[in-house]
Formats: sequence, C-alpha cells, structure tokens
Amino acid sequence: MDPLEVFKVEAPGEEYGEKKYREILLDILQDLGLVRSIGRLYVYADISKPYFAVFGLFRGALPPLLVRDIGDVAAAGDGFQIKVNDEEHLADLVRVLWERYGRDNVEQPDRDILTVISKDSPADIPVADLDREFRQDLTDALIRIAPEGFRNRMNEMKEDSFFFIAAEETLTSEMIAEVREKIRGMMNA
Amino acid sequence: MLDPVMYTGGVYKHDLIMELVEDLGGYLLQKNVTQSEVILLLLIPSDDMPIMAALAKELRGELVRAPLAGTEVAVVTPTLAIHHLPHSACDVAEYLRRHGAKSNMVGLARGVGREIAQINEYETDLVNEHDACVFMFGNFVQCIVEKGPLYRNINVPVVVTGGPEIPKEKMPYAFEYVSSVGRISHRSKKANELANLDRIVAAVGRALDRARRDIEKDPLTTSPPRVMDAVREQVPEVQSSFSPLPIALNLNGCRIKLPYDEFHQAVSDVTFDEGMRLGDIATIRPSRMKRYILVRIKPESETGFVI
Repeated sequence: MDPLEVFKVEAPGEEYGEKKYREILLDILQDLGLVRSIGRLYVYADISKPYFAVFGLFRGALPPLLVRDIGDVAAAGDGFQIKVNDEEHLADLVRVLWERYGRDNVEQPDRDILTVISKDSPADIPVADLDREFRQDLTDALIRIAPEGFRNRMNEMKEDSFFFIAAEETLTSEMIAEVREKIRGMMNA
Repeated sequence: MLDPVMYTGGVYKHDLIMELVEDLGGYLLQKNVTQSEVILLLLIPSDDMPIMAALAKELRGELVRAPLAGTEVAVVTPTLAIHHLPHSACDVAEYLRRHGAKSNMVGLARGVGREIAQINEYETDLVNEHDACVFMFGNFVQCIVEKGPLYRNINVPVVVTGGPEIPKEKMPYAFEYVSSVGRISHRSKKANELANLDRIVAAVGRALDRARRDIEKDPLTTSPPRVMDAVREQVPEVQSSFSPLPIALNLNGCRIKLPYDEFHQAVSDVTFDEGMRLGDIATIRPSRMKRYILVRIKPESETGFVI
C-alpha cells in the first residue's frame, strides 16, 4: 500500500518506466524520511521531449523544534538542567544555548546532560527549523529521483506545494506551461 | 582441459589445496584471506577434479564451479553518480565477482541523458581491454535503444541491461539484452532480483563462451595462466604490487599491475622452459588502466607453434 494519499505516475508510452519510477520514488523518499510530510504526489515524464516533472502537496508545515522537544528541562541550582533524549539535534542545541547564554554559562557535565546558568527557562527556545531542513532534503531527493541526464532543472517551493521539472534541453516557458497543464489534468482525472 | 573452480574454507591447512593444485598441474589464480576464511580461485585439470573434491571435503571446505574465473568483465554505467551506485551496478559487479570474474566498474564521463550521451576514445579502449562488458541502462525504452552508439565501437561482447522488454533487433550492436534490471534504488535481495542477476551472469557466460570458441579456431601460442606463473616466478616485483590481484587474467593474455616504463623489458624477457621469450610470443604494451603492462598472447597463426 502506498503511504501517500494520492500517488500518480504517468509516462506516455513507457508502462514499465511508470511502474519502476513509483518504486524509485518511494525508495528514495523513504530513505530520506520524507514520505510522511507529503500528502499527494503527481509525476509526469515525457521521454520523447524529454522532460521529467514532479508536483506535490505537503501535509502541513512542520513546527520548529524547541528545547523541550529534545529533552527534559528541570530547574537545578542557579539555573536549569536539560536531560537530552534526542541526540540527533544535540549539536544544534549546544550552539543555540551558547548563542543565548554565552559559553561560560553553559556546561555539559555528561554526554546527555546540559546545565544552563540563567533565571529564565530555556524550554521554549527554538533549536532547529524542521520545515527548512525538510525542504532542503526534498530538493536533494528530487535531484536523485530525476533521470541523471536531465540537468536543466527548475524547483519551485511554495508554502503548501512544490513543483520540480528537469529536462535535457533548456527549459522553456512553453514546456513548463505544458507540464503544468498535464499535471492539472492528472489532478482532475 | 582446465576447469575453473572456487574453493572456500578455513585458513587452517589450506596450503594443502595449493600444493595439490601445483602437483596436478593446475594454477592458482587468486587467493583472498579474510580473517579465518580463505577463498581460492583455481584452474584444475578436469580429470583430476575428484581428487580435489575429496581433499576439499576432508578439509570441510566448499568447492564450486566458477564459470567466469580467469576473465575480466567491465561493468559500465553512464556515470558513477548516486543514480547508478551502489544499486544496481555494485550488485552486478559483486555478483560477477562471486562467479569468479574480475569485475571492474567503469563510469563514463558523459554517458548520461538520451540525446547527449557519449563515450570517448579512452573509455572505449579501456573497455576493449576486458573480455566482455555489461552496459547498465535505465527504465525507459527510448533511452536504452538510443544509447546504442555508446557501445557500437566496443570489440568485446556487450551485454546490455535495462528495465523494459525490448526486442533484440532494436539493439544490433549488443550481444544480448537482459531485461528487468533497470534503475533500482534498493539492494537486490528478493528472489526475482537475484534471478535477474543470475540471468546477467548467464549472458556474460555465453558471451565469454563465444570468445573462447573464437580463440579455439586459432589457438594462442601459450595459455594465459602459464604466462602468469612464469611472470610471477621471474619478475618477483609483482609480488609486492599493492593491487589485490597483481596479475589479472584475460582470455587472450593478462594485465600485470606494474608500471610499464620500469618493468616492460623484464616482462618481455620472461623465458619459458622451451626457450622462448614472452616478448617473442606476445605483444606487450601499456594498458589504458593506470599504464600497467598489458600482455596479449599471439595466436598460433602468427608464431607458427604452440608451447
């Protein structure tokens, strides 16, 4: 079963390519952990032109990652202690705390323990912009997914959707308009 | 007639196998020691195979036929980018290796695209130094068919792989086309994927058989394993080469992994028991691969004798 709500791939005259590109897309999106953030995906490839396009709708923006999402914050001594549960963002957390409180006021007595000398709680400080990271990863994934020879690319990231097109020849406005029309047709089908 | 086999077993007493190979008049092509296990690629006289099998059984080792042993196969991909590696090109190269072939991966500089794909003279020459090659393409019919010019000038048999079913007539320059092996982005581990890799190995085997038949029509002056043995004995520097396989065998010669400029004269002066020099019965020239020494044994029709 597809983990996406809607997942359509069309490549006129290339039935096998259509089937295989479904697998490639899912493999790459799953490898990079992007599947859950994409709701609908439409892929249109015309190898006679040739070009390859992907249009997708996001499930919703990801909220920024706060200190309390990464670890447990508790008052201790002159300040606060953070017991880190998610080590993936530990480096980002240390950088943010240094910036906010200065290096002298941040200590790491243990691998997963950080102490901050401060009067105000660090619990609500944003550590990472997950939405931005997701969009960067998605761009990387799209470049991996598109056939390698298609090196003229356009990537349009919007609030709630993205549109990616790659071609061998120079991209023209007519080509882009044609692809948009095809994808609109797929959405309305 | 020598049979190519692969012995896998413990390091303990594996020298008995090597001694037996020598006694039977066979050849040791490659030896890989991985911690407590050893893998030996051997050529054994067909008639003596039961003796070898009995010793392998006694040592609790495994002796299997390696039909591609003693050959070099190039696995050619449009580039060495993430689109082709590690899946599926590495899967194919590794599978060929398991069947005894020495596989080399070749990534073209500008092999991508449908209309812009090209191969240069250096790449063509490099692939031509192998015994066969596998060109790995993707999932679209048009792209696979239109990439024919990439392997038009390759002299060795070309096995083309791709996803869709395509009639062979559409690829006049290919020796064989193996379908269902297009672009994939996961490791080949399902039964049907492994079966596809088996089909590639079988196609390469058929390509090599044809090359062997061609050679039999005009036999080589001496066999490549014999050249390998003589070079190993008379050019000791080859033992200190850092390559995992200092002498790679081909069907019609071998590649000696020593710098051409320094060692080609020493290789040329290698003498056989019959009194002939290697330089007299073979062409010795620089290889396109890192300027190693490439030995191509002349056929009987050129030298007038077989030793």
